[in-house]
Amino acid sequence: MWLTSKFKQIVLALKPGTVTLKYPFETRPVPKDFRGRPVWDHTKCIGCGGCANHCPARTILLRDLCQEVRVLIYDGAKCTYCGRCAELCPEKAIVMSPEFELAAPRREDFSQTLELFMLTCNRCGRCFDMEIKNAIDKLDLRGYRYDNIETRTVLRRTTDRMEPAVLDETEAARRPERIGG
Amino acid sequence: MSTNRIISSLRAEFGEAVRGSSSPAAGRLLVDLDRSRLREAARFLINRGGRYQVGVGADERDRTQTFGLIHFFAFDRERFSIGLRTAAPASDPTFDSITPDIPSAGWTEREFRDLLGMRFPGHPKPKKLITADDWPDGIYPLRKDVPYNLVPPSTADVAYQLDEAPPGTTIVPVGPFHATLHEPAHFAVYVDGETIKHCDYRGFMAHRGIEKLCQTQVSYNEVPFIAERICGICGSVHSVAYCQAVEMAAGLSISRRAEFIRVVCLELERLHSHLLLIGVAGHLIGFDTVFMHAWRIREQVMWLSEKMTGNRKTYGMVVIGGVRRDITPEMKDEIFAVLKNLEAEIASFHKAVAGDSSIHGRTKGVGKVPTEEVVLWSLLGPVARGRGVDIDARRDFPYAAYDEIAFDVPVTTDGDVWGTIVVRLLELFESIKIIRQALDKMPSGPVLTEYGEALPAFRTGWSIVEAPRGESFHYVLTGEENRPERWRVRAPTYTNLQGIPRMLRDNQFADFPIILGSIDPCFSCTDRVAVVDRRSGRKRVWTKSEMDRLSRSRS
Repeated sequence: MWLTSKFKQIVLALKPGTVTLKYPFETRPVPKDFRGRPVWDHTKCIGCGGCANHCPARTILLRDLCQEVRVLIYDGAKCTYCGRCAELCPEKAIVMSPEFELAAPRREDFSQTLELFMLTCNRCGRCFDMEIKNAIDKLDLRGYRYDNIETRTVLRRTTDRMEPAVLDETEAARRPERIGG
Repeated sequence: MSTNRIISSLRAEFGEAVRGSSSPAAGRLLVDLDRSRLREAARFLINRGGRYQVGVGADERDRTQTFGLIHFFAFDRERFSIGLRTAAPASDPTFDSITPDIPSAGWTEREFRDLLGMRFPGHPKPKKLITADDWPDGIYPLRKDVPYNLVPPSTADVAYQLDEAPPGTTIVPVGPFHATLHEPAHFAVYVDGETIKHCDYRGFMAHRGIEKLCQTQVSYNEVPFIAERICGICGSVHSVAYCQAVEMAAGLSISRRAEFIRVVCLELERLHSHLLLIGVAGHLIGFDTVFMHAWRIREQVMWLSEKMTGNRKTYGMVVIGGVRRDITPEMKDEIFAVLKNLEAEIASFHKAVAGDSSIHGRTKGVGKVPTEEVVLWSLLGPVARGRGVDIDARRDFPYAAYDEIAFDVPVTTDGDVWGTIVVRLLELFESIKIIRQALDKMPSGPVLTEYGEALPAFRTGWSIVEAPRGESFHYVLTGEENRPERWRVRAPTYTNLQGIPRMLRDNQFADFPIILGSIDPCFSCTDRVAVVDRRSGRKRVWTKSEMDRLSRSRS
């Protein structure tokens, strides 16, 4: 029993031969619909913010710098490559590229920044008055207008409210005693 | 026992205490119960063949001024799952502990003690489970008045108080980082000489608060992408379980083709997960031929997933309403070709491994648990099936398209680690069979069913999905803000880990890695274990290679 198993194991080991590739000299082709790094096409992007609004990792930030310039930043360091942005983009401005060798020394190397010039209304000369919370705001851009692009923080409005009293309690809360003196 | 009979017998037994009952879907029951009779009712269900699944606690103070608690029980033979729903007023969130009768409820109750501030008088081990050792008392992160990103200042020098050691034993701490642990977790193993007598567990060091995040920050269809990241192995399991729970709660029916594609994803995942575990088990007992070749065979599954879903794992495939990608006819042919190759390779692997006496020597009779105790601890998946308990959610609670697929559920009565490995090996062949049937029977049609703008609020749904490691349980209460009001996840390891002290008892310390490995946690190969003699306080640090040598020297 023992010996026959060993023979079978030798066959198991010898039959396939060497299976490892001499990567990086030799690479396996990437399949057709592989989801690698998303790439934005700035000529197609209309700045609707759909990608930012549906990114599960919250890695796409959107902010209006002034009335006519909207900035979109993709911060790839947090990206999970789910491809949700590419799927939902109405203009197909996002493509999941076959790139997967994404190691980089700096965090900024992962990001892409788009500066989009937004059209203004012929009648009033404005895009949208972003400081007034109109229905369109609430629908599509909830929270994202207040993203802090410098520190890469997404500031979303949340339904959570913490009472100031509870916060004070947190500061002064009693901690478990140290064990063993 | 049918669902009607269980309701009428509950009513007969508990009379007025049963406030009402509802059936949100076929094979699913919710019974509202007065909290004073909770423990008796739980015992009543267990005595009638119920298997404890999990408890779900919720902060419902904004709607009903109460804290809600639901204990779920599965009747595997009768194919239904029943939830005992109770509530306690916000001023006094106290529930009778059911842990003295049902040991596997222990963690649920400790979890909601930590996260919601509920109290469970009578709990045999009322210690911290989830929150950090230095998390301040009186702040319960899952309560709605606590923001999701609250970080209280940390404190040094606070430690978890281990269980009292049985007399004459020495504590061997394994972890928080250790070669055989898939995440930071601390096992204090109490040994008498080489024999393990008891074990205490302190884990949840990587608790990420995903439930809180998804209940407060994201929307319904973003959650699947977060859910699948709960686990690095069974990604689709969690996203399918979540989506099914939402679909059940909202009453959505999805296209049949999407259900078949979900089955294919789930079974591909089972194939690679089982091959991974069998390889790792070989590695743990120092048999690296098994490791190398199980993983070589597994690689084809990963490549297949990459072609099918766009990612090496089956990530990003499942959303509420169906799946994102279709299986094209060319893809189908390719899957068949890979399966044929895979089946031949697994068969030759099975023949080479199944009779090997050195594997038998390390796994037979190790981690033995009698069948009654497996039931008592509600162990799941291959861990239970390898010990003679015939449960499988794919057959008992058919979801997706499993009702149309014929397959066997391998069960062995060895009761040891070897049994769990045999079950996994045999399940590989069943998975191949299932994928073939799914591809053959798959009807044409759309893969994604769009749902209307708003899902109805405050509907309950829970889904049971057989993950490679056992049954995954997801509970969803839909909310008003396009996101779940309450989402509860219970992965199979949550239950199986609670049974680890029982599996370890009276085994050799050198078998600790393989026993823990047999429940299939993933492994990080980074650290060391320190042995502390409690009496002299002398320390000896074991490096990973020394620990490996100790484990392998038994082979």
